Amino acid sequence: MEREPAINLRHVTKSYRRDQIQIPVLSDLSLTVRQGEFLALMGPSGSGKTTLLNLIAGLDRPSGGAILVQESDLALMSDSQITKWRSDHVGFIFQTYNLIPVLRAQENVELPLLLTKLSRKERRERARTALRIVGLEGREDHFPRQLSGGQEQRVAIARAIVTDPYLLVADEPTGDLDRASAEEILLLLEQLNQEFEKTIVMVTHDPQAAKRATRLLHLDKGKLVADVAQERGAASPVAQEQAS
Amino acid sequence: MKFLGYILRNARRNPVRSLLTIASISVCGFLAMILLSLFSTNNEVRATLVPYNRVITMSAQGFTQPVPIALAREIPAIDDRSGIHAIVHRESDDKPLVSPFSWYGGKFRGESATFFAQFGIDPDTLFDIYPELTIAPDQLKAFKERPDGTVIGRKLAEDKKLQVGDAFELKGEIYPFDMNLTVVGIFDGPEKRDLRTCYFNWNFLNEGLKRDFQGQGANNAGTVLMRCKSDPLVARLCVAVDEDTKSSDRATKTQTEDAFVSQFSEMIKDLQTYINMVGLAVAFSLLVICGVAMAMSMRERTSEVAVLRAIGFQKGQILFMVLAEAVLIAGIGGFIGTFGTMFLFKFWDISPYTMGFFPFFYIPTAVAVTGFLVSVVVGLLSGLVPALRAASLPVIDGLRKVV
Repeated sequence: MEREPAINLRHVTKSYRRDQIQIPVLSDLSLTVRQGEFLALMGPSGSGKTTLLNLIAGLDRPSGGAILVQESDLALMSDSQITKWRSDHVGFIFQTYNLIPVLRAQENVELPLLLTKLSRKERRERARTALRIVGLEGREDHFPRQLSGGQEQRVAIARAIVTDPYLLVADEPTGDLDRASAEEILLLLEQLNQEFEKTIVMVTHDPQAAKRATRLLHLDKGKLVADVAQERGAASPVAQEQAS
Repeated sequence: MKFLGYILRNARRNPVRSLLTIASISVCGFLAMILLSLFSTNNEVRATLVPYNRVITMSAQGFTQPVPIALAREIPAIDDRSGIHAIVHRESDDKPLVSPFSWYGGKFRGESATFFAQFGIDPDTLFDIYPELTIAPDQLKAFKERPDGTVIGRKLAEDKKLQVGDAFELKGEIYPFDMNLTVVGIFDGPEKRDLRTCYFNWNFLNEGLKRDFQGQGANNAGTVLMRCKSDPLVARLCVAVDEDTKSSDRATKTQTEDAFVSQFSEMIKDLQTYINMVGLAVAFSLLVICGVAMAMSMRERTSEVAVLRAIGFQKGQILFMVLAEAVLIAGIGGFIGTFGTMFLFKFWDISPYTMGFFPFFYIPTAVAVTGFLVSVVVGLLSGLVPALRAASLPVIDGLRKVV
């Protein structure tokens, strides 16, 4: 049975203005991301991967077209509405983790919960649960500088899932990690997708990482050039080509 | 309150910078408190003089020119003759509460300058004119009876370690003769009175002038001090006395005690303008110090702010957190600089080090509160630009700075 669409992009275009020059980044891109999908976005630098991720996550607005989420068009939402939508429905995972260095692991995870009506105790409990899910039980009181890169990214993932969003966006989540740590993070993302049914959109240059996704999109010069459903763990033709 | 922990952590993020900023604000606050209190203290003290309805008659040419002692007798007569009856008469003997008030200005026991006020007065009426000053009855009796007796304020006695019965020698600076007095009493009074003053019998000073200065300057009262009944009568008495003397060679200017004291502030009014300008410069410096610190701090945190915006913090919440941090740092500095200074001068009496220029010095509460509020406003203003920048930063631009 085909799942419900989580995000629907219709004829989306995006261009940036540099001085007097209009630079097109995405042109007439239509895409449906279904609930529970694990989508990998690949493509050469400048192909528009991160721009597409930012549009899906509501961090940026399209120059044309519509981005529909739960019957609402992100492009038509006010800044305040789109910010609220992000806090309720999107979890972010960045390449450089972007933890707040002055906050402990638990406090970093708790940060998005400050925007909710939860009590202090409830926030603490939820943050601990999220840290337990990512395998960092016992590291609650560590500052980011006291953690390894892989552990920092786990904290970032815990922060991303603590509000129980349906969409996780990850921009090169393993880009700063060694192979072993990267493998752990990818396993964790897989687990979140399979066990917790999170919809994940991940930008990556790494074909090994892309193998973990259930669907692979390949962008080139702002256009979708390949959209391949794949068995988890199987190397897609595009990924194979990139790897070679 | 939910954000307080995060705000506090950010304020301590760079402890050295935060501490230096707080220290700068504290020092500025300390200096501003001292400068602004010089005049405010005077105004507060003046306000406490008003209820006593005291009046001072001085020469129309200024208080450095003496008025004749005869006026001390004539003024009550003018008061009666004009039907004003403003001057208070002592119940026991119907004596009008009038006293000469003559500056001596000598050096105490070889000191390099005059460090405290010294006045020749009428011992019989002084403590009725100044009911807020207290003295033991036997000491007052001795003061009235002994021509070379002097009564000194409690703080002066403490500074000089003097007791009743001690010799009290003043070396003449204005007059070419010394005053060899004996302490017969120590008076006390409210905090806002000069308790480092020394009073002695005007007659003793006058006799000295006759004896050692060929009578030059003798029979002058300096100024004449009196206590009146009520404020409306005071105004009429002032007019009556000055009217009576205006055609003579001893024209007078009669005014209330607080107006007389305010002359000294008026004399340095230009200085007050400069001091106020220095105060403004201090506030501006604070603004720059805080502004630079906050701008640096926010610049280092561009990506963090972008992350906060990405995970759902609204612009207003970012604005609030940055402003709160700026206000917190400026407020701590301001609190230490203002209330700390107030507390310091509550326990540290600097009068002995001011050559008598400030018989008392303290930071009025109103000045400290104003100073603290200024520091909070400075914090708000200094944080405004960095806060607006942070709040309006496009999220993807902020994230791009690190990725």
